[in-house]
Amino acid sequence: MNREALQHPLYVMVHPFNGYWDLKYERSQKTSLILSFGILFMLILTNVLGEQYSGFLVNMNNPRYLNSLLEAVYVLVPVLFWCVANWSLTTLMDGEGKFVEIFITTCFALLPIVLINFPWIWISNFISAQESSFYYFFKNFAILWSGLLLYVGIMTVHQFSPSKTVGTILLTLLAMAFMAFLTLLFFSLVQQMIAFVSTIYQEIVLRR
Amino acid sequence: MVARIKKLRTGLLALCCLASLGLGGELALAESAAPSYNYSYWGNAVAAPSAYEATTLITGASSGAGPFNNPQDIQVTEDQQIYVLDSGNNRFVILDQDYKSVKTVDAFEFKGKAEKFNNPQGIYVTQQKEVYVADTGNKRIVHLDSSFKAVGIIEAPKSELLQASFEFQPVRVAVDKADRIYVMSAGVFDGFMEFGADGVFKSFIGANRVHVDAVEYFWKSISTKAQREQMVMYTPTEFTNLDINDEGFLYATNGDDYGDPIKKLNAQGADILRREGYYKPSGDLMYSTRSGGAPRLVDIDVSDSEIYAVLDASRGRVFTYNGDGYLLYIFGGIGNRLGEFNTPVALEHSGDDILVLDQALGEITVFQTTEYGRTLNSAVRSYYNGDEEMASREFSKVVNLNANMEYAYAGIGKAYLRQGEYKESAEYFERSMDRTNYSKAFLLYRKEVLRGHFSTIMTGLIALLALWLGLRMFRKMKARKKVELH
Repeated sequence: MNREALQHPLYVMVHPFNGYWDLKYERSQKTSLILSFGILFMLILTNVLGEQYSGFLVNMNNPRYLNSLLEAVYVLVPVLFWCVANWSLTTLMDGEGKFVEIFITTCFALLPIVLINFPWIWISNFISAQESSFYYFFKNFAILWSGLLLYVGIMTVHQFSPSKTVGTILLTLLAMAFMAFLTLLFFSLVQQMIAFVSTIYQEIVLRR
Repeated sequence: MVARIKKLRTGLLALCCLASLGLGGELALAESAAPSYNYSYWGNAVAAPSAYEATTLITGASSGAGPFNNPQDIQVTEDQQIYVLDSGNNRFVILDQDYKSVKTVDAFEFKGKAEKFNNPQGIYVTQQKEVYVADTGNKRIVHLDSSFKAVGIIEAPKSELLQASFEFQPVRVAVDKADRIYVMSAGVFDGFMEFGADGVFKSFIGANRVHVDAVEYFWKSISTKAQREQMVMYTPTEFTNLDINDEGFLYATNGDDYGDPIKKLNAQGADILRREGYYKPSGDLMYSTRSGGAPRLVDIDVSDSEIYAVLDASRGRVFTYNGDGYLLYIFGGIGNRLGEFNTPVALEHSGDDILVLDQALGEITVFQTTEYGRTLNSAVRSYYNGDEEMASREFSKVVNLNANMEYAYAGIGKAYLRQGEYKESAEYFERSMDRTNYSKAFLLYRKEVLRGHFSTIMTGLIALLALWLGLRMFRKMKARKKVELH
């Protein structure tokens, strides 16, 4: 992987229209996929570091209940849900994007969150309560930036019109909620089945 | 060989440490017969040394006044005489410091006629030892002077504020220094009834607010008048008890599930209780329905330095807070042992001791401070009086006795802040999870560090800048040479 390929995510951040176009039509998909996983990993890493090492004034977590594996799940599950929901919707809505493309687009859009939040984990240790508003400002700014990138990315990858992209994104959120509901229902049912089987087993064992 | 001995020695040391750890645990277990706890910043119940321990049990028989029957209220004067309102026997009994009965009052003379109490529920003794009794059965307040002769009687008041069907059933009474009388009357939702020194009804103060559910509000707004009359009426919660402090502020408890169960009312009836603690003062934070459900606060007692204690009847526990609303300690419980109650109804302080009256058993339990309780009390008092040095010393002792007492760390931090030890101060505030004060201390510390290292930091910055400029110039020169060559 050459230097230019590594710099491409940064180029996408500031030139989303050109950057995403290149990503879809010019770049090698394999390199982009590797970069996507890298960004996702860094997002998980910054999340974990942020929960643990953010300054006392902005860190409201009980250190006793921090779980790095769960933090990873909090990042991975929404991304995965988003990609699956978006893919299933856009195949019905004449979107041109493939699943891999959607995944790469989404991951590239998350880069501002990593790049802005990472230094603030350290800086937040040196700020006072009054200055913590800067911390929250930059955090929100990163999220807004990522949202914008995601919007442009989805538009480019599916070759949608701007208004259709807004509609797709809203529908995708709805689909995500639906998926979450189905997953919970599934797990709850499985749990009950397991409980049922184990109860029967206990009955048989104890009756003997 | 030497290494082996060393290894052996460390192993032995570790073994000793482990053994002593085990010993310490057992000792601690044996020491706390009654489980005592406090709530941490995170809302968890953490073990704490007991601050108060039950020492004496006073019954009617042991005091020499005959058994108490359904006593409802107690009051302690400054010279530590205890007035027990023995409702079932329609009398009140005065005990001296040794908990022996010195006088029993069951009748009084008013306008030449001998009168009796009928199921009195509340008693209040002023500093001049004048006694006010809420004579509930007779629907009046009786005001006796220090020789127990009736000076005045307040009957059901007449006012346009009161409805025609109003029934005067006074259950608790308190009197401030200006002889204004505050009465808690059963079935009154408008707050406390305030009477002037002459016994004339003035107004209501401090009504609790009504909690309106959004869903209920919606249904009420679309229903007809006839339907609405069938629905449950929403009335403010009644107060359950009151006390008055030296400055004349009313402290009150109520059964409010949504709002604030403890209130401090000023003369206007506004709630001015400070709630700066980790949690709002409200008794237990965590409870199960099996152990009695939500706390039911039935009495409040204010002592000096704005320290106040409330009594939770559902679990028989006494919660003590300081003026800022930090939970200091918890003791008591429901049970059959000494220091546990059946139906606690009233609590009162007598010096540093705390007395809890049990209605069903007709007993008063006397709690006395342990070393931990004494130190904590004295720390809070010194801090209240502005003696931060002393407070810090006492708080350090508290921390030595109970490392989980997060509030104490803030006390130490404040003293360090005053002394200009900003780093230590910030560290202690962090331990006490006090973010506001931490920020203050940290800002000062940061300023100090930046000032101390200003020259180093600036030199470093300028050196870096010079290096960068030099590097750029060097590159440019190289590039120019290349161009010339071609």
